[in-house]
Amino acid sequence: MQAGKACDETVTGEARMRIEGGLAHFPGLAKDQTVSFDDLATPERQEITSLADQTNFFSCVASNDTARPDARTYTVGLTIDGRSRELRLAEPIQDPAMAKLVSVVRRLSKQHASIR
Amino acid sequence: MCSSTHRHSLHCILPPYILSQIAENGSPELRAMAIRSLLVDPTMRLVRASTAGPVTGAVARRRAAAGNILSPSPLRTIRDAGGEPEAPGATVVRREGDAPTGDIAVDEAYDGLGATFALFWEAYQRNSIDDAGMPLDATVHYDQDYDNAFWDGTQMVFGDGDGELFNRFTISLDVIGHELTHGMTEKEAGLAYFNQSGALNESISDVFGSLVKQHLLGQTADQADWLIGAELLTAKVKGVGLRSMKAPGTAYDDPVLGKDPQPGHMDDFVRTNQDNGGVHINSGIPNRAFYLAAIALGGNAWDRAGQIWYNALLDPNTRANTDFAGFARVTIDVAMRLHGSGSAEVTAVTEAWSAVGVI
Repeated sequence: MQAGKACDETVTGEARMRIEGGLAHFPGLAKDQTVSFDDLATPERQEITSLADQTNFFSCVASNDTARPDARTYTVGLTIDGRSRELRLAEPIQDPAMAKLVSVVRRLSKQHASIR
Repeated sequence: MCSSTHRHSLHCILPPYILSQIAENGSPELRAMAIRSLLVDPTMRLVRASTAGPVTGAVARRRAAAGNILSPSPLRTIRDAGGEPEAPGATVVRREGDAPTGDIAVDEAYDGLGATFALFWEAYQRNSIDDAGMPLDATVHYDQDYDNAFWDGTQMVFGDGDGELFNRFTISLDVIGHELTHGMTEKEAGLAYFNQSGALNESISDVFGSLVKQHLLGQTADQADWLIGAELLTAKVKGVGLRSMKAPGTAYDDPVLGKDPQPGHMDDFVRTNQDNGGVHINSGIPNRAFYLAAIALGGNAWDRAGQIWYNALLDPNTRANTDFAGFARVTIDVAMRLHGSGSAEVTAVTEAWSAVGVI
């Protein structure tokens, strides 16, 4: 992603989230959720792109961490202006910016999936 | 200086390290005196005050054996993550001995850690997670709309739930006990968190999580609900909890969460790549085995059934890759060791594992 793109309201893309693990296994929640940037407000879109910049999401080294008991594993996918990547991350996520990115994508993808 | 009127106050003439040796190796009378001296020695009092930590398992047991009743106490610290995805949380909000804060998640976490400590000490003489007085740390208010609780290797982490499907994760005492038990399992058998050993790891946490609740409430096996997370689901969810040890597969059947997938018999064992090979799914089988053993034995489940399961977890034959059948054999061996080969305990444990198709 180009520097400064985070503040560009025309940025296009989507965020994807799959959650595995946790205190229990719920079949109904074990599915991918996707939110298009078209469905996000500008500040939400900017937050994701900014965090993707901060974490070097498209070029950082993938972690091989395995989740501890009851911790979750997140598969986070981002497509921003044609660039696309998926990362698998196990809790606890050590990098604060990456933890924040996962948190934001998790909440936004859940909100826009209109679960109930 | 010592006066001639208290000749048994060994601390007057012996340094603490020698008193400690006597406390460990002396005759019963000398051990009792040495321990009493150590306890009143001003140096030791200063040390205790400055460290303010719990005594170790060995020391605690030594004191109890010498008739000096000073049970270990937990050393709890609760932190607040303030809705950020960070653990440990940035702010310490309650330390051991502090008064309740009025923040229900903080106080539930504090009390739940204490109840878990109490079960393991009072029923099994285990001093905290590592049996060496490990401090009990927890972080609450982790992240936003976070529907989970987990053990990160050093502390417990609790989300507040989304309020839609899940309440705050400190609300269920058995969940707190469940998470701390993961720490104990990690320190003992180290059951690998995958497939059958992982499901066994989960089941051990459910067993002792449930026992923490039963112990606090003073419930016998037939009075307990045998549910995990009974308070966790909101009123909008069609369900009674996360899992039922009594009737695996019946805890919830909800349009959003789906249907509880837990089997209660090996005939229905689920082979899957999800959930670390079904650790939260197939744990229903050993969960039901424990329930059946506890019901057959009657009384308080933490006594005989819990004692057998606890000793089986510590047994060297329970290893990282132990499967259901392997653990069943260890529990039967332990029951024989503790109660004799023809005992009701051996019969109850054997029939329980047989009833769920493991042996």
